[in-house]
Amino acid sequence: MKRIAIVSSIYRYLSHAQHMGDRFLIGYPHEGKWHKPDVQVVSLYVDQKPKGDQSEERAKEFGFKVYPTIAETLRCGTDKLAVDGVVIICEHGEYSKNELGQVLYPRHEFFKACTEVFEKDGRAVPVYNDKHLSFSFEKAKWMMDEARRLKFPVLAGSSLPVTWRLPDIEIPLGSVIDEALMVGVGGSDPMDYHALEAMQCMIERRKGGETGVKSVQLLEGEAAWNAPYSKDLLISALSRSDTPLGLTETDGRTQDLVRTGELKRLVAKPAAYLIEHNDGLKTTLLMLNGAVKDFTFAAKVRGRGTMSTQFLLTPVPNVTYSACLVGKIEEMMVTGRAPYPAARTLIVSGMLESCLQSKQKGGEKLMTPQLSVRYNAPAQSQHARR
Amino acid sequence: MQLTRRQILTSAALPWAPNRPKIAAIITEYRKFSHGQHIVDRFLEGYGWDGEHHHPAMDLVSLYVDQHPNGDLTEDRAKRFPGMKVYKTIAEALTSGTGKLAVDGVMLVGEHGKYERNEKGQTKYPRYEFFKEIVKVFEASGRVVPVFNDKHLSWNWEWAKEMYDTARRMKFPLMAGSSLPVTWRTPSLEFPTGARVEEAMCVCYGGVDSYDFHGLETLQGMVERRRGGETGVEWVQAYRGENFWKAYQEKVWPTELVEAALCRSHTLVPAREGFNNIFPTLADMKRIVKNPVAYRYKHADGLMSTMILMSGLLRDFNFSAKITGQKDLFSTQMYLPMPDGRTTLANFFSPLVYNAELMYLTGKETYPLERTLLTTGLTAAGVESLFQSEKQLKTPHLGIRYQATKESTFWRS
Repeated sequence: MKRIAIVSSIYRYLSHAQHMGDRFLIGYPHEGKWHKPDVQVVSLYVDQKPKGDQSEERAKEFGFKVYPTIAETLRCGTDKLAVDGVVIICEHGEYSKNELGQVLYPRHEFFKACTEVFEKDGRAVPVYNDKHLSFSFEKAKWMMDEARRLKFPVLAGSSLPVTWRLPDIEIPLGSVIDEALMVGVGGSDPMDYHALEAMQCMIERRKGGETGVKSVQLLEGEAAWNAPYSKDLLISALSRSDTPLGLTETDGRTQDLVRTGELKRLVAKPAAYLIEHNDGLKTTLLMLNGAVKDFTFAAKVRGRGTMSTQFLLTPVPNVTYSACLVGKIEEMMVTGRAPYPAARTLIVSGMLESCLQSKQKGGEKLMTPQLSVRYNAPAQSQHARR
Repeated sequence: MQLTRRQILTSAALPWAPNRPKIAAIITEYRKFSHGQHIVDRFLEGYGWDGEHHHPAMDLVSLYVDQHPNGDLTEDRAKRFPGMKVYKTIAEALTSGTGKLAVDGVMLVGEHGKYERNEKGQTKYPRYEFFKEIVKVFEASGRVVPVFNDKHLSWNWEWAKEMYDTARRMKFPLMAGSSLPVTWRTPSLEFPTGARVEEAMCVCYGGVDSYDFHGLETLQGMVERRRGGETGVEWVQAYRGENFWKAYQEKVWPTELVEAALCRSHTLVPAREGFNNIFPTLADMKRIVKNPVAYRYKHADGLMSTMILMSGLLRDFNFSAKITGQKDLFSTQMYLPMPDGRTTLANFFSPLVYNAELMYLTGKETYPLERTLLTTGLTAAGVESLFQSEKQLKTPHLGIRYQATKESTFWRS
């Protein structure tokens, strides 16, 4: 059985490390069974121990050890790398924010501590990195370059690309996409990242694959409404929402938020993230807090008309979408192959950083030659559908 | 020329299309989150369907509301949709005051509102009474139109049977039932047509004479696709409380099917503090589920089905089955976007309304009424078994045979 180390920021009830880490300990729902993982957690690192910390409690119950440094965690107290895989979950915990509003999670530092051990000990193992690689594209790029240099597989990102979809659609590989739009909600920078990655996992299937991002622009307020995205796609995405607010909350009615004008009334601070790709595809993320509470997507796909869906975020506390993601992590640990490219997360990490820079510059359009990340989508669908 | 569903709807949606059907809604109450509100609002306001905000290609022109509790929305809707008139009687609603049937379809929603409960715990929703009023107008007018009846036909089996027989005798399309057979599924799977199935299970939540019906419809919408189709039910036995746990431990029903169904849930109450998604042991279940209920029943072809209510443990509807020749158990969740804090809209009403629309437009039932006749009888039999100290009851009256539709009718688009 493969031995894995969990390297986390905090291990507290409903932190990412807990709800994902626990699944390796107690199993998780997977394809209609309570799946007992084919991997064993042998060591844990926690960067912070806030009130409610569960790290020692879990270590005692499940027979592993919490080590004071990442190197010791990977070596399990010996002098050589003693695990077959590393799961980095650096989300939640007290970390400062930068001037762009990004939480400075030390994912790059955690990753670096791992690669230092790999290099010194002459062996590298698969690494999963939860959420975006880093708040900084430069650091994220360095992480991917290190993985290539040391030849180990990396999986990263959000659970939105792998959760259930309503309806269960997939854009046929090699389709021509004329335009795509995503609706998201929540704060920046955690939730806009999830929404961008959800959109990316759909559009990367287009003809020619991902070609990189040419420019980004983040518009707010009235400028966001006036941004050049298709209103039809917005209507289509919102038709997939189960959570319209406002009058629906008042008396239960269904709503055509766009055509009635309610949308503008409900969203005090709209934000449009405009992404132009190198192959000419233009995509938009609209963050519409106040209007809905779910994540929906629509795209014009040539020959198929508009395709739209909701990325189902199942309820707290089960958050079973994270079981979908843990299934993918386990797959990489067992097979030694990442089921989908971390280049997706790399480009999204960069998109987000550049969008936030555009916002800071009052919505200036920024050219992004550094985001010329090319990659191809996996042929097989990776979201929950069995 | 054979038209597809989409063509039928699109052509009829054109404003110049002739014969835009007129619909009357007969409902118990119009209050936020009552079934009447969920359903009638979808006709008036439209709803998200197939990637657009869909407006039914018909006009809801008349409304009868039996009760007007606090928060009644009848006035508000009538004001905002002047094309819809509110009438004081069912007959007037159907005739629009002309003395003759003046609509092309009827939506009957007899759910919610204050109605008496009998000694067995059944709420006496007046679906049968409403139906009789509707039929009276049909008879007097010498014309019939399609009727959609929300949920089971009646709490009373004889009345339900009479409703079914009346529709067949007078030859008008009648559809009925729950949203469960037509809502999303996670995963989006159809029961394999023609499969042999040995055991089927639904693990869900809610009360007797309420969500039990939804659990039974969940089961029936799946197992009716088995080899030979539905053959009817020979007996029903209910289990509750201690008897339930005893039966559970004695494996009266296959516990692996319960477990498979629970593995499809998105809402398992954590059995241990500090864990967010942990599989419950039997001891955990006993502690968490205060009043478990099971209806176990035998179909004429030998299939055994079990509907289990485990309120407290979960808040969704999960199906599992043992299919002959398949190594793995078959399972899925019938997903309900539920406005109990999880969503704001009960969008599982959308596929229900959509199917009603298809019937109003085509005059054809899109799925078999016999399904709901059977589940109506099963609900009543389950309640009766509970009332008679959980006795096994023979159900010769439920020898209902029917075939499933070839096409899937659950929400996939």
